[in-house]
Amino acid sequence: MIEALSALGSVFVDPYLLGLIFATTILGVIIGVLPGLGATTGAALLLPFTLTMEPVQAIAVLSTIYVSATFAGSITAILINTPGTSAAAATTFDGYPLAQKGEAGRALGVAVVSSTIGGVFSVIVLCIAAPLLARVAYEFRPPEYFALTIFGLSMLASISAGGAVKNLIGGVFGVWLSTIGAERVTAIERFMFGNYDLYEGLSFVPVFIGLFAISELLVQSKMVNKVVNAVSLKAVKLPTKDDYKRIWKTIVRSSGIGTFIGILPAEGATVASMIGYSEAKRWSKNKEEFGKGSIEGIAGAEAANNSATGGAMVPTMVLGIPGSGTTAIILVGLMVHGLRPGAYLFTEQVEKVYQIFGSMLLANFMFMAMGLYAAKLFARVSLIPISILWPIVFALSVIGAYALSQSLVDVWIALIFGVIGFFARRHGFAVAPIAVGLILGEMVETNLQHSLKMFDGQWWMIFAQPLALFFLILAFLGLCGPYLFSLITRQKN
Amino acid sequence: MNIKIFSIPLFLTIFSIVVIYLSLQLETSPEMIVGDSMQARSFPIFLMVINLILTAILAFQFTRVYPKEVELEKFPTWSSMLLFLIFYILVSVSGDMFVAIPVVMFLLGITWGQKKIWISLSNAIITPLFIFFLFDYVLQVRFPRGWLTNIYYG
Repeated sequence: MIEALSALGSVFVDPYLLGLIFATTILGVIIGVLPGLGATTGAALLLPFTLTMEPVQAIAVLSTIYVSATFAGSITAILINTPGTSAAAATTFDGYPLAQKGEAGRALGVAVVSSTIGGVFSVIVLCIAAPLLARVAYEFRPPEYFALTIFGLSMLASISAGGAVKNLIGGVFGVWLSTIGAERVTAIERFMFGNYDLYEGLSFVPVFIGLFAISELLVQSKMVNKVVNAVSLKAVKLPTKDDYKRIWKTIVRSSGIGTFIGILPAEGATVASMIGYSEAKRWSKNKEEFGKGSIEGIAGAEAANNSATGGAMVPTMVLGIPGSGTTAIILVGLMVHGLRPGAYLFTEQVEKVYQIFGSMLLANFMFMAMGLYAAKLFARVSLIPISILWPIVFALSVIGAYALSQSLVDVWIALIFGVIGFFARRHGFAVAPIAVGLILGEMVETNLQHSLKMFDGQWWMIFAQPLALFFLILAFLGLCGPYLFSLITRQKN
Repeated sequence: MNIKIFSIPLFLTIFSIVVIYLSLQLETSPEMIVGDSMQARSFPIFLMVINLILTAILAFQFTRVYPKEVELEKFPTWSSMLLFLIFYILVSVSGDMFVAIPVVMFLLGITWGQKKIWISLSNAIITPLFIFFLFDYVLQVRFPRGWLTNIYYG
């Protein structure tokens, strides 16, 4: 425990790491305020830059981008009614109306404070919950891991964008992508079509750059003629005593909701902010103010979306199951730097783990300072013409895709997946399930193979393992629960 | 009923069937290697069966709630995809990413509505240069040799 705390504290006195997190927070806020870019695209673009860094520094960069970009989405949500990230969509409901009333500074102040409290709360939960969960996960064998990954995949059904069935199809497609290359046990080549660059399978980095960054470029190409109506901002104001009295309960509630939703595999900040917002409305004494500039609405959404960031890191680091597109990229970052996510990470690399947690904590305080003192400046960044911004994203994408393996094939893969991702999104399929499926695919197949070997080919024995059965029941309930519930209700009525 | 709504389920069905067919063409391993586990072809087939079931559910959903009509893409989108192809051709011909990137960046800026050519041009020259030196010096990434990189690498 002392070792963990000292590792966590060491981040605050390491000048290099402090400087790195400071610079990354600025970058994260810029990424967050640029509509379309967001935490996931930003992390995908920055991943290649972390290759030569130490593991802790690399993951600190990625997690700082995650935390700061998630917050920064609220700046444009309030000032130009365009959420910088999907997680800030709920902030527009009350943030922009309040800004239109001439209270943009107050709206941003509430967003900054709520985000920081939510973020810090979730990191504290992460520090406590992750090692506890790791102790449980220590007992997991292949059947439990198989069932857990199935549970993780089933949760894709409730990812915010796309419908349940479409998300599941995306997840299955992602798992199938993981089968490309030589099969691990028999070395039989699958779907390679003679291309030996694919022998080891598809690299995650170019696929993610394609799915998130290049597909977003194509999506943004539809917004070429979009006109932005910005509201003026004099200065960001900290909430007053009366404001705090009104919002503290909402912040606490939303922080809890956000952290819990973040912990659930495949649930992310967007779902958290929507639920945080609706719960804030449900419990409020001033329901009529919602949608017209309620500070409780802003606090509910912002505390929830930022607290989901810490929560989402729990399954990512302990179980290797990412909670969102961004955590999928962080997971890849962990793997690239030799930090195999899982229970062993918490026994063998405790120091590194807590340094990563410490850097997330630090990032929360840093974006608070930037939100309070530089929001006006950052808001101007969002007005960069897309005809300048997106060619830069293109250059970063192709070079980033090339950098990891220094192979042109990876560049073509990124471009191909950019187009695939664009057409998927065009038809209402979210790309995050494909990314999560690709990451979990290997885990699913390998653990199924090991389980079959364990039980001499008797697959039904997986159901005889209590913990595995528990996860499979959860997966079943997650998939069929809502339909069964509505069926029962309909029959009763 | 508009048959167009089934285009996506139809595409997914064809995709699944093709993958199943390709999986069935895969070699089988001897029993002593696979043991009680499964053949390399089994898992992809299993996945595609699930995909077919999900596709059937999706098609059923479409009959009850019509999917939104998808608008045809406008010029900037198609031109961007075309520029990806131009990027591929330029890299293949010159062997140099740093010939292709500025060209595509410049054209991307223009097709996306940048009226001041010098802005697009400076963006297309300065950004790749900056990224090149950043990756070369800091990350020590070596880029494929081509027309321009040959001059630098010697």
